[in-house]
Formats: sequence, C-alpha cells, structure tokens
Amino acid sequence: MPVTKYYPFEPEQAPPEYRGIPEIDPRLCVGCGACVNACPPDALIKIDDYENGMRKIVLDIGRCIRCARCEEVCPTGAIKLTQDFEAASDDRAAHVEVVELRLAKCRGCGKYTDYTERQLQKVLSLIPPGIVEFDRVREKLPLCRECKRLLTVVNATKFEEEMRE
Amino acid sequence: MKLRSVWVFHLNTGACNGCDIEILDVLTPYYDVERLGVKLVSTPRHAHALLVTGPLTRQSYYAAKRAYEAMPPKPRIVVAIGTCACSGGIFYDSYAIRRESERLTLEYPRAGGTSEFLPVDMYIPGCPPRPEEILYGLALLLGLAEKKLSPRHYVDEEFVLPRTQFKAWVEVLLKAKIRKELGYFDGYKLLERFMELVDIAETPETLHRLVEEEKLKEKDSRIRYGLDRLYSYYLEVVKTYEDILSQKRRVLRVQK
Repeated sequence: MPVTKYYPFEPEQAPPEYRGIPEIDPRLCVGCGACVNACPPDALIKIDDYENGMRKIVLDIGRCIRCARCEEVCPTGAIKLTQDFEAASDDRAAHVEVVELRLAKCRGCGKYTDYTERQLQKVLSLIPPGIVEFDRVREKLPLCRECKRLLTVVNATKFEEEMRE
Repeated sequence: MKLRSVWVFHLNTGACNGCDIEILDVLTPYYDVERLGVKLVSTPRHAHALLVTGPLTRQSYYAAKRAYEAMPPKPRIVVAIGTCACSGGIFYDSYAIRRESERLTLEYPRAGGTSEFLPVDMYIPGCPPRPEEILYGLALLLGLAEKKLSPRHYVDEEFVLPRTQFKAWVEVLLKAKIRKELGYFDGYKLLERFMELVDIAETPETLHRLVEEEKLKEKDSRIRYGLDRLYSYYLEVVKTYEDILSQKRRVLRVQK
C-alpha cells in the first residue's frame, strides 16, 4: 500500500484546530487597534494619516507567527485565523492585507481625531436603551483630545462663576 | 529558465530548529519531496537552491555569505523557509540580528530576515510552516502549482453590525466571561451559537428551553458546562439591566 501523499497535485484540508493564515474581514473591522497592541512580532501595524483622515490597519502574513492573540482580543471578531496554509509567494507584496478606514472629524476644531467613525458607531450601538439619553451623547461625542480638555476647563470656570454669583 | 531537478542545500542562519525539523519531515516517505526531483545535498557547491531558515544572526552572516558564493553561478535560487527567514519574525527586534534597514518603522511589507542580504526567489512563511506548505512552495518554484495569494487593499467597505443595543451589550459582557471559562477558541464559537439562540428566543423561559435542547444534542461535556454558565451569566446581566432601569425611574420620580 503506498503511503506517500499525492499533495501538490490534489487539494489538502488542514485539521480544524490548525492555526493558518490570519485574515481581516473589512466589513466587521472597526479599526480600534487592539490587535496591533497584542501582536508580538509587529505583523499588524496601524498607520494614521491625519491630513486625509484615513487609518490603515496593515497585516503582513510574512511576519505573522500564528499565535492567535489578535483573534483573542478582537472586539468584533473581524480578524480570524483561517485553515488555509498555502501562503508561499515569490513576491512579498502578496502577503500584505490593508484595511483603510475613515477617521472621525472633531466637532469643535474640525481636525481629525484619533479614532475612526466606525468605533463611534460601535460604541453607540453598545449602549442599551433607557440608560443614557442618546441625543445628548451623540451631540457631545466627536471631539478630539484638545477640545475635550478645553471643554472641561470651560465648563469648570463657568460653574465656578455661577457659584460666585 | 525552466527548472528540472533542483538540488538543495539546507542552511540554518540561527533558527530555533522548528523549520529545520519540518524540512526533515518533507524528506520522509510520507511527504517524499524527492518525487518532485528535489534532492538534499551536503555541500553548496553541488546545489541549485539554498533553503534558508532563521532570522540571519550576526554570527551566521559570514557563513551564509560564503555558502551563497560557493554555489554555482547559474540558477542560484534562494528559498526563505519560515517567518524568520521571510521578515525577521518574532526575532525582528533582537540585538543579535543583522539588519541594514531601520527596526521600528511603519513600512510594509515588513523588512528583515534573509532578504536583507540575498535576492530571495520564494518566500514560504509559517512558524513553522507545515510540510505541505514547504511542498507547495517548492512546487510553485518548479511551476507545478498556482499562486493563491494576491495583495489585498480594502478602502471604506460597507460596515456591518451583527447585533445592536441590548444584545450587543450582552455579547460583550459574556465574551469576557466565557474567555476565562473555556478559552478563546472554544469559547467564542460557543458564544456565537448561544447568541443565535438569544436572537430567536423572546423571553428567558424560552431561552432556557432552547439551551436544554442544545445541551441534549451536544456530546462534549465541556461545551454543556459552558452553555450552562452562559445561561446563568445571561440571567445576571438581565437582572443588572433591570436594576439600573428601576434606579433610573426612581431618580426621575424624585426629581419630579
């Protein structure tokens, strides 16, 4: 009985627990960067472009060590390790997957903030009804760090003046 | 140039030996790479191709250079096997690694590894790659298989939120708990199944009935235990939510 596999000439299925090539689903990714913080070999990187207001999440399979920490921390389940293993290529560019997302615009100064529009939508979708008033939250939300700090100071001084009167 | 039988020389440039053992596996009768005409030789002077593993340490740089120069000048193929050889891998930031390029930059594809000093013809990533992956890479080199990957770039795709409001909130809270009980691999799959039941069920009583039915179907006792825990956590979350709502109402009444 021949024992040798016929592999390169017929398809092969990896076992269900096999940790193969990771893949980002661009419809689910919110661009929070949790996977970027978790990735030990820096295969995932986050590139912010504040002039055009775009954020790139870049996955390089050629740097990935298949540890699945990104899958563990992903809040939306967008990044998953598939069972595919045929990643060989003569060109390194074929290993790269880029997901580009739009950054949110600050309500105060009009500059781009350091979070994406999808993150905002996701956070708003998480709040169950009846706990906070949605309209008031939505009014306040798209603020950059500087404006948030400024607003806190302005509110505090206003409150102090009212107290004096 | 059409390649026929490729003789290969195995060169370790500071690998952890994972990839080297997989190369050994490829030579066993089960995978048998020799049926593709690939033969392992003991000196680079006889070799057409160099199978490089490892992230290229400072010590092994000179030996690797000499091995490359000793190869016959005509095909001089270099195959990078493993994530380390492709781009530095987990050791990309180590002080022992020879690198010409900057270490901590935001360029992509990520630099490092063998391509720092040799022109690489075939990259086979994996940590370590399966024997099938190495077979596939060598078959690609010989023109026996087709390339499957291509660069992917997505800009502003349509956004999908599978669940919103209360159900999304429940999912986030249960995700953190089930990860502690069953781990991410089984836990997240089970949570997905449980959330489908939550989508169907209207009240906690119908959900309890559905969970019992699901438990009868399941043979794995760990999964049954996980379903039980998920249901009890779900009840806790519902109770917390009702408490918050009743508090809110009480505050409103006092204000009026």
